Amino acid sequence: MGRPSEAAGMEALHQLKSTEPPQWLAPSASLSESARAASQHLFASLRPHVRKSPFDELLVDNFDAEQIWQQIDLLTQPLVRSIRRRVKHWEKNPAEIENLLPEVADGGKKVAQGKKMEEIDDDDDDDGGDMDMDDDDDDDDEEMDVDNDGEQDGGKDEGDESEEEEEEKSGGIEDKFLKIKELQEHLEDEEARHYGLDAKNKKSKKKSGSKKLEDEDDDSEEGEEDKEEDDDEDEEVDLFAGGDDEDEEDEMGNARYEDFFGKKKGGSEPKPRFKDELGEDSSSGEEEKEEELSSDDDDDEEEDDDENVNKKPKVLSTHEKEVQKIKSEIEKMEKANLDPKTWTMQGEVTAANRPKNSALEVDLDFEHNVRPVPVITEEVTQSLEEIIKKRIIEGQFDDIKRAPGLPSKAPRELKPVDENKSNKGLAEVYEEEFVQQTDPAAAPLSFSDEQKKEASTLFKKLCLKLDALSHFHFAPKPIIEDMSIQSNVPALAMEEIAPVAVSDAAMLAPEEVFSGKGNVKAEVELTQTERKRRRAKKKRKFKAVETKKMASKKAREDELRKQKEAAGNGEEQ
Amino acid sequence: MLRRNVRLRREYLYRKSLEGKERLRYENKRKIAEALQEGKPIPTELRNVEAELRAEIDLEDDKTAVPRSYIDDEYATATEKDPKILLTTSRDPSAPLVQFVKELKIVFPNAERINRGGQVISEIIESCRSHDFTDVILVHEHRGVPDGMIISHLPFGPTAYFGLLNVVTRHDIKDKKAIGTMSEAYPHLILDNFNTKLGERTANILKHLFPVPKPDTKRILTFANQSDYISFRHHVYEKRGGPKSVELREIGPRFEMRLYQIKLGTMEQTEAQTEWVIRPYMNTTKKRKFIGD
Repeated sequence: MGRPSEAAGMEALHQLKSTEPPQWLAPSASLSESARAASQHLFASLRPHVRKSPFDELLVDNFDAEQIWQQIDLLTQPLVRSIRRRVKHWEKNPAEIENLLPEVADGGKKVAQGKKMEEIDDDDDDDGGDMDMDDDDDDDDEEMDVDNDGEQDGGKDEGDESEEEEEEKSGGIEDKFLKIKELQEHLEDEEARHYGLDAKNKKSKKKSGSKKLEDEDDDSEEGEEDKEEDDDEDEEVDLFAGGDDEDEEDEMGNARYEDFFGKKKGGSEPKPRFKDELGEDSSSGEEEKEEELSSDDDDDEEEDDDENVNKKPKVLSTHEKEVQKIKSEIEKMEKANLDPKTWTMQGEVTAANRPKNSALEVDLDFEHNVRPVPVITEEVTQSLEEIIKKRIIEGQFDDIKRAPGLPSKAPRELKPVDENKSNKGLAEVYEEEFVQQTDPAAAPLSFSDEQKKEASTLFKKLCLKLDALSHFHFAPKPIIEDMSIQSNVPALAMEEIAPVAVSDAAMLAPEEVFSGKGNVKAEVELTQTERKRRRAKKKRKFKAVETKKMASKKAREDELRKQKEAAGNGEEQ
Repeated sequence: MLRRNVRLRREYLYRKSLEGKERLRYENKRKIAEALQEGKPIPTELRNVEAELRAEIDLEDDKTAVPRSYIDDEYATATEKDPKILLTTSRDPSAPLVQFVKELKIVFPNAERINRGGQVISEIIESCRSHDFTDVILVHEHRGVPDGMIISHLPFGPTAYFGLLNVVTRHDIKDKKAIGTMSEAYPHLILDNFNTKLGERTANILKHLFPVPKPDTKRILTFANQSDYISFRHHVYEKRGGPKSVELREIGPRFEMRLYQIKLGTMEQTEAQTEWVIRPYMNTTKKRKFIGD
């Protein structure tokens, strides 16, 4: 697309300026068109001031707002930084503006120098750009580039470039220091050419201060190129070699709060400068890392984008960081709450509800309410033996003692046996016994005991007296023969309450039950002769009874006849 | 025989139930006697019963003054005869258990050991009663280690259940010469730290397993109580250097016993009343000591 005419571009700008704010709320094609045109015009106008940028002109056709913006950003970022830096520098040193003026007046020379600077800047930008490609630390690199740009107010010569190249080749810091020393004079000469020594020293001071700030802030990982750039700046700034020792002492020895954080009035200013002057190396701080992280995050987010765009602020304030931390913790906790709990927290868990052998891994704790079993140690045995020995010495044992038993039967009477020989002969003893058996009354009473004799005489006297009271009448008790009913009931039933299933033994004696004689045979058992005999017997009996009856009858009849005859006779007579 | 035993047991339980009243009367009598002795006025709550109690006091002699506690009534006649003990095991004993029971047979004087075979406990106890044994001891095991002992006093007496711990038998000590032979004399007994009522009861149960010893025997059996664990030790002593020096030589098995139940019937009477049973899950078990200090 050809460059639109400046007029068209200006016209587009005017149009944009004139539109009412509410019109911006709704997207409209005309507005977008004019906006694109205006941005293209602006881009074109700025393009010459930036030596190297990927785009010659702003590409707007069919490009997203993001993409357009990124193009612009690529162009303007370095430019903005350099401008800012210069402005700040001139704020501090208004004298330099006057110096600038003749340069401006010189015009082309300055422009050339400026171009050179820009070239150098662009080189740095290139380096930064390379670094961007490599490290994806776009912002920081750009910042570093900007730093480099800012500090290269005096302008770098190509020697610097060569020096940079040499430094790029070099590895360690020491090499760079050496190079610094080598190049110091060269740089000083050049700076003296441009600004004069005093100004340079002051600037170096400021740069050193700012450098230090940068060092604190920046990542150590920014890369060697960054270091190289720093070293370049060091060369310019004259930190280590040559120059005025006073200045150096001033630079290093009198490091003040103001150097780092600026004057308290203008406290806000150094902070943005802080941010701009990121990208330096050396001393690592948490802020560096955080910034790197934040820049990393930014970079990661911006990886998709072709160009680097500063979407977020790279540096979060401490409060914001804390808030982020807390938020992440809260998220973690909420997630844990929503998930189902681990089995150890679930209350009653059976084997089915927990992973296999998991109870073995967990340290389970039980509270036991019993005293542990005593371990028998030497000391315990010793103490026991002590107790035993003490008891033995005292003779105090806990044996059972035999209790005297209660007497269960009366003590046997021990009669005093007369040991003298008996006077009576044996025949006499037998005689007395015989007499006693046959005729108790006639037997002489013999008592074994004196006391018994006495007792018996006393009793006899008593009985005599009692009998006298009853007039010597003695009526013996009448003997009443009990009529006890002998029922034919089993004997056990009478004696025992509990019924016993025993054979029925009758109370009557067998002969009372059955009075019979001889060999009793049942009818079945009889033989023929037996039967005949029985029948004959029965007949005889019957006959006997009959004859008796007949006889008695006859006798009665005879008597009756006799009586009648007698009576008849009587009547006759 | 059965009925006689039942009757005796009922009598014992009845007399035990009266014990409370007896105790009260005894206390009152004692108070009155004290008051009379010191010349103080009789306490007012005893005024009504004072007269008859005083009469009883006058009639009392040594034996009737102190009320008999019927808790140990089972052992009332135990001192008249020497105890006769039967030792058996649980069914299918292992060889170490048999060895342990053999050792115990020598420890208890007047003890008999029988094989368990397949006998039922009630059979064993019936036959013991009819043969006039006074005690039956049953030993249980766990994989060769003796872990339980049940001591049952026989006519209808109490049964004490012990758990055995830290058992060291004579057979474990391989060196026969070092340990020597076991003396079989009637031993002296040392029962240390049986201070509570339950402790006294346990001491009684253990005491009446042994006969009355001669006063000069050298054999000592120790039952020492320490926080409800009773240590059993068997020593023989010598007084060599004089009256105050004593040399102990340990013979015989050593074990710790832990009482966990006392029942008021014999082993076979499973429905008998429990006098005391251990409560391991009570909250204050750790703090309390039931047998001694």
